[in-house]
Amino acid sequence: MTTLPDWISAGLLLAGAGFYLAGTLGLLRFPDVYARLHALTKADNLGLGLLVLGLALQAENLAAALKILLVWPLVLAASAAVSFAIARRAHELGIEPAGQEGKRP
Amino acid sequence: MGAVLLRGTAFALVWWVLAEGRADSWGVGVVSVAAALAASLYLAPPGAGRLSPTGLLGFAGFFLAQSFKGGVQVAVRAFRPAMDLAPALVDVPVALPDGLPRVLLVNTLNLLPGTVSVRLAGDRLRLHVLDARLPIAEEVRQAEARIACLWRTGP
Amino acid sequence: MPVEDRPMTGLEGPLALFLLLNLLAALVRAARGPTAADRMLAALLFGTTGVGVLLLLAHAGDGVSMPLVDTALVLALLAAIAGVAFARRGWHKTEEGHDDPA
Repeated sequence: MTTLPDWISAGLLLAGAGFYLAGTLGLLRFPDVYARLHALTKADNLGLGLLVLGLALQAENLAAALKILLVWPLVLAASAAVSFAIARRAHELGIEPAGQEGKRP
Repeated sequence: MGAVLLRGTAFALVWWVLAEGRADSWGVGVVSVAAALAASLYLAPPGAGRLSPTGLLGFAGFFLAQSFKGGVQVAVRAFRPAMDLAPALVDVPVALPDGLPRVLLVNTLNLLPGTVSVRLAGDRLRLHVLDARLPIAEEVRQAEARIACLWRTGP
Repeated sequence: MPVEDRPMTGLEGPLALFLLLNLLAALVRAARGPTAADRMLAALLFGTTGVGVLLLLAHAGDGVSMPLVDTALVLALLAAIAGVAFARRGWHKTEEGHDDPA
């Protein structure tokens, strides 16, 4: 017997995995480190958000569900801070974005 | 007094979540909540810049919707066989006051559609955008407005 | 915690494996560079994909393994603290206007 929340949960998990795949594809295909940062900070974070939501739906009680949901904002904070550190470092190292060589504002 | 009560309740709620709602761990819980409360009162004394609940809700809603939009935007570009990017570095002016609001803006923009913060120098923020054809300046202004609403008074 | 005998979606195990393969491909990409900044992308991957794998594994099989959820939570918390420390340190460095090349 599969209940409606289980179906919604399965849908969220699959959608989450799809965004992880998009993040990996972007990482492999995007032209430079800045564009690859977009792939990781947007697609992977949304993937984790959907994953966390899908798993929280299966939790046995409200507290356990909230505990799983709590993971997302923490990872978001980490991603945002690390992403800025990487982008700033790349800029300081003089790495030019693709298609922008010699056009730094 | 209000701040102590509010923070105490918030920390107790976090403990309840971490303990998965079990009652047998409240002995350790009470000590932990008290320690967290003491640390928070010492590190961030109440008074300056109270958070606004409606501002917080508005920001959370805006953030969730924009996160979804950002993820879809990148996913579409990653899956498309012929990649259609127009990456560029863009400088935008920052109107938010120095300190926490700015730090929050720089980090929020990393998670919002199409932008990654590269450098903050003075009142100008340098962003890397994945597609310069999108209305970047408008999105930055929206994020700034949402962040400004987080505090009742200037922090 | 009592393990409830209700049907799970059964997707968690396969999806955990799928995410692990993603992590592997992404790590190879990050390790190959070509720039130092590319290699730093690995730090981001453990935050998102690593935590995702842990959470899925916690739900794979019968019931939920809360210790694995705790592990994911601690990993996320450490990543957040490391990220903030990382950013703060850089923040002061750029204000001074100089930085050592990698």
